Amino acid sequence: MSTTKEIQVDSLHDLEQAAQELLDFSNGMKVILFYGEMGSGKTTFIKAICKALGVKENTSSPTFSIVNEYLSDTNNVIYHFDFYRLKNEQEAYDMGCEEYFYSGNYCFIEWPEKTPSLIPEQAVSVSIEVLENEKRVFRFLY
Amino acid sequence: MINILGIESSCDETSAAVIQNGKCLSNIIAEQKIHELYGGVVPELASRAHQQNIVPVVDAALKKANIDKTELSAIAFTKGPGLMGSLLVGTSFAKGFSLGLNIPLIEVNHMQAHILAHFIDKHNDSVPTFPFLCLTVSGGHTQIVLIKDYFKMEVIGETTDDAAGEAFDKAAKILGLPYPGGPLIDKYAKEGNAAAFSFPKISVPELNYSFSGLKTAFLYFIKDAIKKDANFIEKNLADICASYQKAIVTTLLIKLEKAMEQRGINQIAVAGGVSANSGLRNALLQLENTKKAKVFLPPFEYCTDNAAMIAITGYYKFLQNDFTTQRVTATARWNL
Repeated sequence: MSTTKEIQVDSLHDLEQAAQELLDFSNGMKVILFYGEMGSGKTTFIKAICKALGVKENTSSPTFSIVNEYLSDTNNVIYHFDFYRLKNEQEAYDMGCEEYFYSGNYCFIEWPEKTPSLIPEQAVSVSIEVLENEKRVFRFLY
Repeated sequence: MINILGIESSCDETSAAVIQNGKCLSNIIAEQKIHELYGGVVPELASRAHQQNIVPVVDAALKKANIDKTELSAIAFTKGPGLMGSLLVGTSFAKGFSLGLNIPLIEVNHMQAHILAHFIDKHNDSVPTFPFLCLTVSGGHTQIVLIKDYFKMEVIGETTDDAAGEAFDKAAKILGLPYPGGPLIDKYAKEGNAAAFSFPKISVPELNYSFSGLKTAFLYFIKDAIKKDANFIEKNLADICASYQKAIVTTLLIKLEKAMEQRGINQIAVAGGVSANSGLRNALLQLENTKKAKVFLPPFEYCTDNAAMIAITGYYKFLQNDFTTQRVTATARWNL
């Protein structure tokens, strides 16, 4: 049985609400996958989720660094991945991605399609569809 | 003689360097990937690659410097920020080597080292004097830093999303150029008209930057244009690159000039791989020509990730007896 939810986001102002809805939807699952073309707003949405989790510091794109670590105001570590520039799954193995995925901390993963067989089964998917301008449809699934 | 061995393994490059009294004797980067990088090859980022590289790279750095390991005064290594698996390789090696040689160990912040790279091989008249501002621009970072002293630095502006280098690389991808294609955009831009197309200058508060919106605007601009003319990119590649590059450079300069004005500082240092971009270089030279600023650009090999910058930082820490212990461990997050 899979559980799904679809929400429409009309502007950046709706992201705070969308972030809270995703966290409620996730039902305690900490690994969240983000699918969507470049420019669809994956990093922007993750920023909103980090804010909802109490991250005060700057959250930026990990495309170059592969993984960013943030600290919430309750001192929980949050990992933000971007596998965009990985060439193959071996590189993800070599960076020790499993240690992060099974750490029990939140793992937000952009471009998870680069490492399909490494993604834990207990994960929530978020697909972002671009409608026009700032409008998006978010589909949550697990 | 103070001989410092520097070790860098925070991201893609494994590098070792020897600095003697502030002068660079060797700066070895595994397989000299910089050239490949600028040919557009995605580098290996495996920590396993660092493990394979670290001993040969250190050996090559010592040999090139013509220094025996017993002549080393201390070992400096990148403690962070960076990719944990990669940092651990350099950190473990540095700890082991320092224990074996019974010489001090010095921890270095990678972002601080990018800035202190300006002091490699320099005499007092060719380096910025405190206080100065540094624009650090690379694939992973975009920061304006206020430097009050060697180890008194404050980030006064930074990107809230994508780094400037990433904005170049992703636009290159949209244009069908190989990733990372920032340097290719620069190459084509030289032949193009920067006023041909206009892209939004995304404005965020204070001295911060945002490049994610520009990237998205660029994506939709190209998509729309291709709908009307399937050969739009081929026909206009140089103009597209020139216009887009100008949008990034202008954005970088607006906040930099604002920072200069706010802080009353006119000495500008530049660090990071994007400092090789000719559009940025020209804009900075323009600042200098109009007497608005004095600009300091280190040689390119000290701009990208390298161990000479780690060793020079180690050298200044050595002068202050700022050593760490064997209990030190790598840290992925480490603010300036």
